[in-house]
Amino acid sequence: MKHIEIVAEKTVECGAGTGCGECQASCQSACKTSCTVGNQSCERKIERIQKEDNK
Amino acid sequence: MVHTFTCLGQDFLLDVESGTLCKIDASMKNFIDSVSSPGGNFDAGEFSRMRKQYPEEAEEIEALQKRGALFSPMPNYKPPKPDGVIKSMCLNICHNCNLACAYCFADEGKYSGQREAMTAETACRALDFLVKKSGNRHNLEVDFFGGEPLMNMPAVYAAVQYGRTLEKVHNKQFRFTITTNALNLNEETIDFFNREMYNVVLSIDGRKSVHNQVRKTQGGKDSFDIVLKNALAFRSKRGDAQYYVRGTFTARNKDFAADALALVDYGFDKISLEPVVLPDGHPLAFRAEDLPMLCEQYEVLAKEYLKRRANPETWFSFFHFMVDMKHSPCLSKRYFSCGAGTEYVAVAPSGDIYPCHQFVGNTAYKMGNLQEGKIDTHLYETFCENNLSCKPTCLDCWAKYFCSGGCAANAINFNGCITSPYQTACALMRKRLECALAVYCLENTQQ
Repeated sequence: MKHIEIVAEKTVECGAGTGCGECQASCQSACKTSCTVGNQSCERKIERIQKEDNK
Repeated sequence: MVHTFTCLGQDFLLDVESGTLCKIDASMKNFIDSVSSPGGNFDAGEFSRMRKQYPEEAEEIEALQKRGALFSPMPNYKPPKPDGVIKSMCLNICHNCNLACAYCFADEGKYSGQREAMTAETACRALDFLVKKSGNRHNLEVDFFGGEPLMNMPAVYAAVQYGRTLEKVHNKQFRFTITTNALNLNEETIDFFNREMYNVVLSIDGRKSVHNQVRKTQGGKDSFDIVLKNALAFRSKRGDAQYYVRGTFTARNKDFAADALALVDYGFDKISLEPVVLPDGHPLAFRAEDLPMLCEQYEVLAKEYLKRRANPETWFSFFHFMVDMKHSPCLSKRYFSCGAGTEYVAVAPSGDIYPCHQFVGNTAYKMGNLQEGKIDTHLYETFCENNLSCKPTCLDCWAKYFCSGGCAANAINFNGCITSPYQTACALMRKRLECALAVYCLENTQQ
């Protein structure tokens, strides 16, 4: 495409809404004052990608 | 809903409901801004009317709409009610501090009460409580907080040792973290941190003059030199393990980009800098007229951030410029954020339980006590509402899936209502998210 370049696609995923709760509580990470979740990582996705990398 | 913005001299687009992030050129930005409403929604009539003027752009938009990546509808998702599980705890191990910071939300560690230290027994009972309430969660978080936790290390040692025994019995993993002002850091505590702490947060405010102005000792002396020396000793032994040097900026250093960069220049590579939150009228509190300069400073920092990160020798990370688009959090996480008062609680030295560290000492928000082992159901229900679906103003905001509607304590303290976010924090959040998304785009595309 000439006028638009997709850098990341469909990152808000309904299907991945497991809510397993194994990820870090956002306020515990570094700030203790703000609730940024966009910089939090999904433990399940990290595990899955690590497994794929190890294959 | 789409959000277009200009940052670092480039134009970008975020498709809010799908989370698709794009770099766009100026003509595309003009077109999209013309065919979307002020709220960022698609205006089909305007699109038809203007497509002759922008034929290529219109074709590209249609292609992206077909694959669900542009002007996407809101996901068909109803957040489940929290299930009573607690997985994360702020353990206020010491309500005392050797500093007297001018902006301290915790009343110099006293939290409106007495100076006191948590006993090792209470700390261990807190871990028992966490394990009991954690259901099938495997990863449990405990942050040693204060006041200054290094003033009560015997209880920290005892809690960590006890937690390790609980892990084996209950098939759990404790992620211990600690937040310290580094004044009492020594070789013994550094080695302990590096053995046991998943994350360590060290408080330094940036430039020496800035830090010393607001972070005095209880005796009124400057603290910077000793804190920096100790923090660098810690850094030299931390390796690749997680840590943050975390500062606060106030109305006295609105040029805070210089403070973030000063921390990097001292030798740290994981930085977080937070805007102070204080009642209106406090001499260090921000005023509405400060916002343009603060927003500009985020962009100043983002520009230098990109430049330094291009060179491995000068690379660093800034907490609020990090967005994880690859391992991005699930929708449930995006709705519930920190989980204060539901899956995250704070425990005071007395064993009293609060929704989070920001509420400790506010007896109206006491949720229970370790001895009773129960949680106040009325307060629990209140904090179940701390999610996006209960915040009408947030549902129309493009940043909603990145901040989940902001801090519950700020909402209550400034607006008296858990579902009404603190707007100053919202404005700063939106600007640093724009910077974060711009940085992500520029680092992941050919410039």
